Amino acid sequence: MFNFAFNSFYEALYMNGHGLYVWSVVILVFISLLGFFIGYTVKIKKIKDKLNEPN
Amino acid sequence: MSIIWGLFFTPEDFVQGNSYRIIYLHVPASFLSQTLYLAMAISSITYLIWRVKLAAYLIIAIAPIGAMTTFIALISGSIWGIPTWGTWWQWDARITSTLILFIMYLGLISLHNSFSNYEKADKLLSWLVIVGAVNIPIIKKSVDWWSTLHQSASITLTDKPSIDSVMLYPLIGSIIGFFGLVICLVLLSSKYQILHREKNKSWVKDYV
Repeated sequence: MFNFAFNSFYEALYMNGHGLYVWSVVILVFISLLGFFIGYTVKIKKIKDKLNEPN
Repeated sequence: MSIIWGLFFTPEDFVQGNSYRIIYLHVPASFLSQTLYLAMAISSITYLIWRVKLAAYLIIAIAPIGAMTTFIALISGSIWGIPTWGTWWQWDARITSTLILFIMYLGLISLHNSFSNYEKADKLLSWLVIVGAVNIPIIKKSVDWWSTLHQSASITLTDKPSIDSVMLYPLIGSIIGFFGLVICLVLLSSKYQILHREKNKSWVKDYV
């Protein structure tokens, strides 16, 4: 069940010509999740800083 | 971990080759796009019946994340379609109803942002979310009701999975993992909504 499906790192990247499709989806998901996480963290920090400003 | 398991440690599919590995991202995203809309619908009902403010905040907190998961589902499906179907887009029932879901998410976000009166926006949004929920069973059943290019569900609650256990376990794991990540994002988004909407209240000033 946990046997590495490829013979080399290059083969894992290339995936018999399907690597471009698979890795582009992986990158899309990674960027989307990270972008949302950073976006909300920054927004929360900004609103907290604004609320902490002396009137 | 499950995504790594699926990407590197599962065997190649004998029909689709390695392109099937997109399943470990496409299926969790599709599942979540519908689940998040259902969560919005439950929040809408809660808000309209009991006037729970937190439920209203949750609707608009979930919407952008739902839009993101639907976008991932559409794009990953399109990319998967190129090597599998020979086309990146087909106006079939499943894909079109998912596109409608994405447009609905965007519409709800835009509508909410266009209001200056949050209470009015929450009420209108709640009703629209409930009306739009009719699209969820359509998405789910589209592959059974119509002849579509999209395959029928590999995992159902009632039947034996049509996918081998070697590929199934990492898929279940990636759905659970993706679910956890999205819950974290919903919590962050809800926190922002609460701080933004309650910023003039004394308890928020005490909290920050």
